[in-house]
Amino acid sequence: MSFSFSEENNLKIASLMKRYPQKKALILPLLWMAQKQDGYISEDAMQVISEHSHMPYMHVYSVATFYTMFRLQKPTKRVIEVCRTLSCELRGSQEIKKHLLENYSDSYEIVEVECMGACSGAPMCTLDGKYLENLTPRLLDEVLNAN
Amino acid sequence: MQTKIVSKNFEIPHAETLAVALQNGRYASLEKLFTFTPQELIDIIKASGLRGKGGGGAPAGAKWQLVSDFEGKKYLVVNADESEPGTFKDRQILAKDPHLLIEGMICTCYAIGSNTSYVYVRGEYEEFSNILQVAIDEAYEKNLLGIDAKYPVEITIHRGAGAYICGEKSALLESLEGNRGHPRLKPKSPEPEFYFGEPTLVNNVETIASVPFIVENGAEAYTACGTDCSPGTLLFAISGHVEKPGVYEAQFGVGMWDYIQELGGGVKGGKKLKAVIPGGASTPILPAHLVYEARLDYESLKTIGSALGTGGMIVLDEDASMVKALKNLLRFYHHESCGQCTPCREGTSWVDKTLDKFIAKTATHEDLEILKSVSKSMNGKTICVFAPAASGVIEGFLKHFESEFLECIQ
Amino acid sequence: MKIIVDNTPIECKEGELLINVLLNNGVEIPHFCYHQDLGADGNCRMCMVEIKGQKRPQVACDTFVCENLEVFTKTKSINEVKRSILELELLNHPVDCPICDQAGECKLQDYYMDFGLYNSHLTTPKTKKGKAIDLGSNVMLDQERCVLCTRCVRFTTNITKTNELGIIGRGDSSRVAVAPNRPLNNPYAMNVVELCPVGALTSKDFRFAQRVWFLDSVKSVCHGCSRGCNIHIDYNETKYSDEKVYRFRSRRNKQINQSFLCDYGRLSYRELNEKFNSTSWGMESFKELLRAEKKVALVSPSFSLQQLQAVKEFCKNYNIELFSLPYADESFGDDWLKTNDTSANFTGVKELNISTCQDKFNSFLESSELVVNFDHNLLKVKELENKKVISFTTSKIEIKCEAVFAIANFAHESGTIINCDGIRQDFYATKYRCEAPRLIELLEELQ
Repeated sequence: MSFSFSEENNLKIASLMKRYPQKKALILPLLWMAQKQDGYISEDAMQVISEHSHMPYMHVYSVATFYTMFRLQKPTKRVIEVCRTLSCELRGSQEIKKHLLENYSDSYEIVEVECMGACSGAPMCTLDGKYLENLTPRLLDEVLNAN
Repeated sequence: MQTKIVSKNFEIPHAETLAVALQNGRYASLEKLFTFTPQELIDIIKASGLRGKGGGGAPAGAKWQLVSDFEGKKYLVVNADESEPGTFKDRQILAKDPHLLIEGMICTCYAIGSNTSYVYVRGEYEEFSNILQVAIDEAYEKNLLGIDAKYPVEITIHRGAGAYICGEKSALLESLEGNRGHPRLKPKSPEPEFYFGEPTLVNNVETIASVPFIVENGAEAYTACGTDCSPGTLLFAISGHVEKPGVYEAQFGVGMWDYIQELGGGVKGGKKLKAVIPGGASTPILPAHLVYEARLDYESLKTIGSALGTGGMIVLDEDASMVKALKNLLRFYHHESCGQCTPCREGTSWVDKTLDKFIAKTATHEDLEILKSVSKSMNGKTICVFAPAASGVIEGFLKHFESEFLECIQ
Repeated sequence: MKIIVDNTPIECKEGELLINVLLNNGVEIPHFCYHQDLGADGNCRMCMVEIKGQKRPQVACDTFVCENLEVFTKTKSINEVKRSILELELLNHPVDCPICDQAGECKLQDYYMDFGLYNSHLTTPKTKKGKAIDLGSNVMLDQERCVLCTRCVRFTTNITKTNELGIIGRGDSSRVAVAPNRPLNNPYAMNVVELCPVGALTSKDFRFAQRVWFLDSVKSVCHGCSRGCNIHIDYNETKYSDEKVYRFRSRRNKQINQSFLCDYGRLSYRELNEKFNSTSWGMESFKELLRAEKKVALVSPSFSLQQLQAVKEFCKNYNIELFSLPYADESFGDDWLKTNDTSANFTGVKELNISTCQDKFNSFLESSELVVNFDHNLLKVKELENKKVISFTTSKIEIKCEAVFAIANFAHESGTIINCDGIRQDFYATKYRCEAPRLIELLEELQ
């Protein structure tokens, strides 16, 4: 087995177990934990989670494929998620997306996502999961060149 | 125009820390809380007319009663899966005043007789759930939470992972149990939700955050705000083509157009208003002439063919394309359908793909008929209200803006 | 208690599931996800009915009957509801019926003929999904034909608890799948093919073999073990070839096998098609053989009661000591349908008081000059020294015999067998006559 949770995570799992009435409820927290640890969720990780949660592998796999934030493939680049939903589109998300694709698609994986709950900061995107709001192409350049 | 009950501490620097929170009145309601019996507290909530603030607007007290009537293990689950496009109010509470939520959860747990609670936070809100986690840790440290608290309450944050449907309470519980977020079949008579078979109260973040004010000041202080049927306030949000998008708390019943102008700063760039989606993407769109007469409460929006929903208004100016706007929303529904039941899984994808032809201006009259008939097929036949909501969105756009769709027909 | 369905009263029990009441009373109610032995799920939305006093149509699989419930299943408005849902079920279906094995027994086809009959007005491209995916255990998946009723998933989750199948993805990209490198692998896997109401899951064994409308069907009982699972034998006879059995399908029996079969039993139909030779024989030489002084006979524990009775009388007439020995296979049984006793009627053998004593049989065998084998597997392979052997058989004999009489196998016989729990069950012969005679008639001739 090429996946195991880190020492620190194993301690976290032990305390998490006490917080749920059934082990099955650990599936989402453990999928997150595996993704944080490796950057994605491998087959081996799902096997380990299936053992921790006392649920069949297929169940864990089925759950992991339902939620769009879980990545089952190892990312090769840093991820930028651009919100494409209405409030952002009304305030120029298309322009942001175009700017990103034209200038940054070599070094970043540019993904379009649905509403992130940042409509007052539209248009917005995330970089490594962190919100960047009230974007303009210039602001993007500043942030991405500083990173 | 603003009335700050829930958002009272939003502007105070570092109000998310326990020290500042305590200085600004957080946890004050707990002193009064234990002078009431749990049933008295439920009666106060009933008298306050507090309604669920996640979009449905169901009376909170009645829901509490259903759970409270059960003996034994019970749960409180706070719905922080805020994913309705145009809605970003709960995140303000998580980030700016997390102790208000914790305080509300303690009150609610006491009322319904629960000691175990969860906050289901949408996966994307990692930053904000981290802030909440710090606040929870502080509250544990000061014995406001945990077994040594006056009333013991455990709070666990459970992160979603990118699924709008998990905002639907039964799908949320499925997700919290470690399953795919598929909504459950609805009960035929009133009953609470169940988490691993135990009775469970699911309430929105803002609903729970409204509780401390009512406990502290009494039901009448709450009903003094708002309208008879929609008492109190809501963290209305405004986005799209306005000068000052944001979240501004106001009493139910204020004029929509007044709100847009006064708090939202009016239509962006001084343009004319074309339409408003009043309460998150799932509420039917209102053309300008209806916006001018609309009031922000459940009843009056219903009478003009829409709904208050989450109170997250999306404003569209005179240049906005209604075809593009509908395409944008239907793409959202297509992407977010859980896929469990047929009318929704197939219907949302069909209307989304059909809209592409309108965008490309290659649509035919048959395509317009498809939009109408599929919208009908999606309504009233599914397990949850996701597809009927999508159907209402289509009907709203076609009712008020059909001419723009006809222009896209070859 | 009574409810009223389409103005006709129906007797039922309080709290029963409406769809079950409708199905048990022969009321046509279209459905994909509900299955009487898998229960309700509520995902397909096909079984909608109108209920008096309810504003919206309701699914019959989530409605429990109560006094005075009044249900309408055939009104114009409910037919329109069903039509609209069927249209969505079929929307992205490839409509490849001409190359689909399910054609002729497909619920999508049936319902389309019942209340579809619209012209497709899809004006946009269909959603593409995976085709011809080998799931393992003889099961092939076409995701584009699937209506996501989850019957197969519920079977592997709740019935076999082997959990190979699941739904992956979301929305219109949801699909049935196995996890990578974890194929379908359980002794009951092929049930999912039969459970599938459409052509999404097909059997590698039956794929492209025969059109179902060319098949005849007869009620029978599986002879693979002592459970006696109820089956349909699907067979036909074409102009220039003999009758051929194409498959066994489960026949619902709530007491015994519900709607299921094990893969071993399901595939045991193949033995029925085996060809083998009988020797030519003359009545005189046969009678000559039977003049031997010491004679023993061994009869198959899978013979029907009627066959056993005939064998018993034959042996009595010719003064032959008759035995039967069980077929026991300790590795075959499980805690569900399969039993370690792999004979179909050993209970019947005991009921007819045929001796089953192994030691006694061995000593008789030792001293006998003539051995008569009535289709018992033991004496088909075991060479006997210095003995004359007459075999009545339904399959190929590996050993040297004085006479081999081919007899009709159970697909061509009608009869009765008693299963491991003492349940007597009749099975019936296919309508074509096979070349080999039926045992009972043959023995009468030989008397």
